[in-house]
Amino acid sequence: MPLFKPEHRQLLKVLHPAREEEVSEVLSGLAAFMEEKISPLSPRFDSLAEKITSARKSLLENGICLIPYPSRYGGLELPFSAYTTAIELAGAADASVALSVAIHNTVADGIFLFGSEAQKKTYLPGIISGKKLASFSLTEPASGSDAKAVRTTARRVGREYVLNGTKMFITNAGEADLYFVLSATEKGPTSFIVEKSAPGLEFGEDLPKLGMRGSRTSEVRLTDCRTSAENLVGREGEGFEQVKTMLNSSRIVMGALCVGVAQVAYEKAVTYSKERRAFGGRISDFQLTREKIADMVTGISAARLLCLYASRLKEMGLEFSSEASQAKVFATETSVRVCDQAIQIFGGLGYTSEDVHRHWRDARLLTIGEGTSEVLRMLIASRELAKSL
Amino acid sequence: MELRLNASGTPDLSGAPSKMSTFDKNAVEESIRLKESSGGSVTIITVGRSDARKTVKEALAMGGDRGYLVVVVAEPDPHDSLTTAYLLARAIERAGPFDLVFCAEGSSDIYAGQVGPMLSEWLALPFLGYVRKVEIKDRVIRCEQTLEESVRVLEAELPALVSVVSEINEPRYPTLLQIMQASKKPIEEVGSELLIDRRAPPRLVTTAGMTAHAMSRKRVIFEGGPEATSRKLVEALRSEGVLKR
Repeated sequence: MPLFKPEHRQLLKVLHPAREEEVSEVLSGLAAFMEEKISPLSPRFDSLAEKITSARKSLLENGICLIPYPSRYGGLELPFSAYTTAIELAGAADASVALSVAIHNTVADGIFLFGSEAQKKTYLPGIISGKKLASFSLTEPASGSDAKAVRTTARRVGREYVLNGTKMFITNAGEADLYFVLSATEKGPTSFIVEKSAPGLEFGEDLPKLGMRGSRTSEVRLTDCRTSAENLVGREGEGFEQVKTMLNSSRIVMGALCVGVAQVAYEKAVTYSKERRAFGGRISDFQLTREKIADMVTGISAARLLCLYASRLKEMGLEFSSEASQAKVFATETSVRVCDQAIQIFGGLGYTSEDVHRHWRDARLLTIGEGTSEVLRMLIASRELAKSL
Repeated sequence: MELRLNASGTPDLSGAPSKMSTFDKNAVEESIRLKESSGGSVTIITVGRSDARKTVKEALAMGGDRGYLVVVVAEPDPHDSLTTAYLLARAIERAGPFDLVFCAEGSSDIYAGQVGPMLSEWLALPFLGYVRKVEIKDRVIRCEQTLEESVRVLEAELPALVSVVSEINEPRYPTLLQIMQASKKPIEEVGSELLIDRRAPPRLVTTAGMTAHAMSRKRVIFEGGPEATSRKLVEALRSEGVLKR
C-alpha cells in the first residue's frame, strides 16, 4: 500500500486549500523515497540485523526536517501540518527511524524558537539538512516530565559552563553530534547546546528495548563537561518553559508517528483477514472481525485528525498545549489498541510473527516517552478545570 | 495495489495511480548524469493525458531543466507505438536543437520496445538500443549494448538516439527541495492535434482487447503413502507431457 494516501491529501486540502497541491507533491515524493529506502529495511531494524544509521541519514538528507522551517535556514516554509503528516508516513515506514528523526527535529525546533540568531545560523541549517544529528537530553534518573526537578547542574566558569549529571533514556545518544541538555543553574532549569566533542561527555550502553529497537537509547553522562557560554540557549532559568514548549510540538509529532504505526498494522490485518479462511469463509466476513476493522480505522482517523488539529492551532499561533496532549494521549493509546487488535486478527500468527507484533512493541513506547499518558491527562485536566465554564 | 479484473476479463485500472515507467527513470537519470558531467541542459518530453504533467514534474525534480508535454485528449492506444513515436518526434523538433535523445528500452507496462527505434527513424538519427553504458568524447557517443550472451560496443556521431536498459544506473530520488523547485521550472504543453500533419502515419494498430490469461487448475488429488503418491504424480506429469519418459 502506498504510504501517502488519498485521505492524507483530502485532509491537507481541508487544512490548506491553497497549498494542498504543493504539499501533496512534496509528501508523495517523500513517501516514494521511504517506500523504496526505508520500509523494506524495517523488519531488519527491528531484528537488529541492520542499523538505522544510513537509512536515517538518507531520509534526513532527503529533506524531511526542512519542511516547517524558513528558507533563510534552508527550510521549505511548508505548514507544520505537512511535517506532522511526514512523520506519520515515516512512522508507517519504520517507527525507529521516525522516532530518531522526530527527536532530532525537536532540538531544531528548540534552537529555532529560543536560540540566538548566531546559534540558529550556526546549528539550524546543519541539523535540518541532516548534516548533524541532534539529541534531546532531558530525562534523568529522578526527573522526566517534571523537568523542574532536574539535577544535572551547570556552573559558569569564565567563558564556559561546566555541566555535571546523568541523563537517562536518551534517543540518539552516542550517535548525535549535538545535545540539547537541560541543566540547573542558580536561576533554575537552563538549556545548553553541547557538542559531542565536548570534554567530559560520555555515553552508556545501548539499552535493549521492547520495541523501537532500531533507535539507540542510552545514558548521557556529563562529568565536568565544558560547553561555551555562547551555547547557553536563551537565558539562565528559562529552560523549563523552553522544554515545555518544545514538548508540546513534539507530542503532536509523536502522536502522528503512532498513527503511522497503527496504519501499517491495520493494513496488514485487513489484508490478512481477506486471505485467511475459516469455517468455509474469509474471516473478514465475520461480524466480529468487521467490528474490529471498523473500530481500528475509526480510531486511526480520529487520531490523525486530532494531531492535525493541534498542528493547525500551532500554525495559527494559537494556544495548543492541551490539544497537543490530547492528540498524543489519544493517538498513542489508539495505536497500541489497533496494533493489539491486529495481533488478534492474525491469531497465533500475530503472536509469533515479528512482523506483526513489532508494531505493538513500537507503539508501546509512546504512551510513556515524551510525557506519559498519566502526566498528559493531568495537564489536560488542569487546563480544563482552570476554564470558567 | 490489488489488481482487479472487470467482468470482461480486462484489468480495472480505475483508482490505480499513473506513474513514470521505471525504465524511463533510467533514461532521465542517465541524461542528468551526462548533464552533470559534461554540461548542457535536459528537456523532458512525453506524450500523455494532461495528468502526465506530474510525471514531467517528477523528471524535472530529478534534474531536468524544462518540460514539454504533448497532450492527447483520450488515452493513446498503448499499442499504437507508431503514432506515439511520431508525436514525440514532432515535439522534439519543436523543442529546439538537441544532441542526444534518451529513451527507455520499453515501457514498464506494455514493453513493446518499439517507440525508440521508430523515433530514431522519424528523426533520422542513428539508433543505439539496449544500452548499459554511455561515454561521450569529441561528439562521438560510445555505448555498451547488452545482447543475450555478449556485450557489443557501438559508436556513433552525435546527434543520436539511445535507449537504455535498467542496469545502466540507479535512478535518484529527488529531495523535497528539488520537488518544490521543480514547480518553478517551465513546462510547455501542446495539443497532439497540432502535431498531426500530412506526414503523420496512418493508425495501423488498434487494441481490440486486453484480458488476463485464463488459468485453470486440474485439482487432482492423489491418495496413499508418499511413495505411491510420488509415483502417481510422476506418471501424471508424464502423461501430460511435462516430463519425458
